[in-house]
Amino acid sequence: MIKYSFLTLLLFSNFIMPESLYNFENAADEKRFYSLIKEIRCPKCTSGSLASSNAPVSIDIKNKIIELIKDGKSDKEIKEYIASRFGSSVLYNPGFNQDTYILWIAPFVILLIALSTYIFRRKV
Amino acid sequence: MITLLRFIIFVIPISLISFLYFFINDNDYYPGADFKVSDMPAFELNSLYENSVVNNLDLEGSYLINVWASWCITCRIEHGFLVQLNSQNIPIIGLNYKDERNDAIEWLGKYKDPYRLIIHDYSGSLALDLGVTGAPETFLIKNGKIIAHFSGEVNKRVWGDVFAPVIKKEKVVWNDQI
Repeated sequence: MIKYSFLTLLLFSNFIMPESLYNFENAADEKRFYSLIKEIRCPKCTSGSLASSNAPVSIDIKNKIIELIKDGKSDKEIKEYIASRFGSSVLYNPGFNQDTYILWIAPFVILLIALSTYIFRRKV
Repeated sequence: MITLLRFIIFVIPISLISFLYFFINDNDYYPGADFKVSDMPAFELNSLYENSVVNNLDLEGSYLINVWASWCITCRIEHGFLVQLNSQNIPIIGLNYKDERNDAIEWLGKYKDPYRLIIHDYSGSLALDLGVTGAPETFLIKNGKIIAHFSGEVNKRVWGDVFAPVIKKEKVVWNDQI
């Protein structure tokens, strides 16, 4: 009898009716949110995404992202919002800009130098 | 031809290294400091003591904003230097970050209150707009623009290295009305 009453109790308990941590208007927004928090670094952590972090600042940023998604902001605008406050280092993919162009171009420049020296050497 | 080749072997690495040194090296770099100029975000929050509303338009001229909390241990270490700054007539506005009102008031009563005005930011909304990652952080504001930001404990050395040069360069005149 006790066993059954426990089971009945369990049926109406919170464990059986879990609620998601964040509420979204539609599934697309939810998907966007979870992909965004994987692409943005937690500014307080050495290297971890917002998704992996429960630091107070990460929780605040996640709530802000939800607010911005509800306001109809695009992914780009949300990333700009966060990067303008916490620096471009919070983005895992900062893109091609004046701070990163050397990183993108340098391998090709070095390859070109190597190739030209190789061709040059053949003529000696 | 061989001498030319030998010459090139030296020239290429040297030019590459000097290029990286002069173009990528950030001369302003100081750990924790950020000199990017940005607008002071708009806000409307209660003050810690009187529960009256403070907004960004109430604050004019130049002043410091110090983010602190009673739970923050480094703030306790920094506190002595802030008291010293306050005695030099430098206006510091406290931004009480994610803290209980009673704890904050008790903390200030126990030690000393170096702030001219304290904003109570329980949810951390203004702190998020400022780009605060955790207490303590200090901002230097001049006419509605953030001109220096330091994350971490401000002490005599940091003041001399980070804030003093900016204050001198930007000819900061402190707002005594706050």
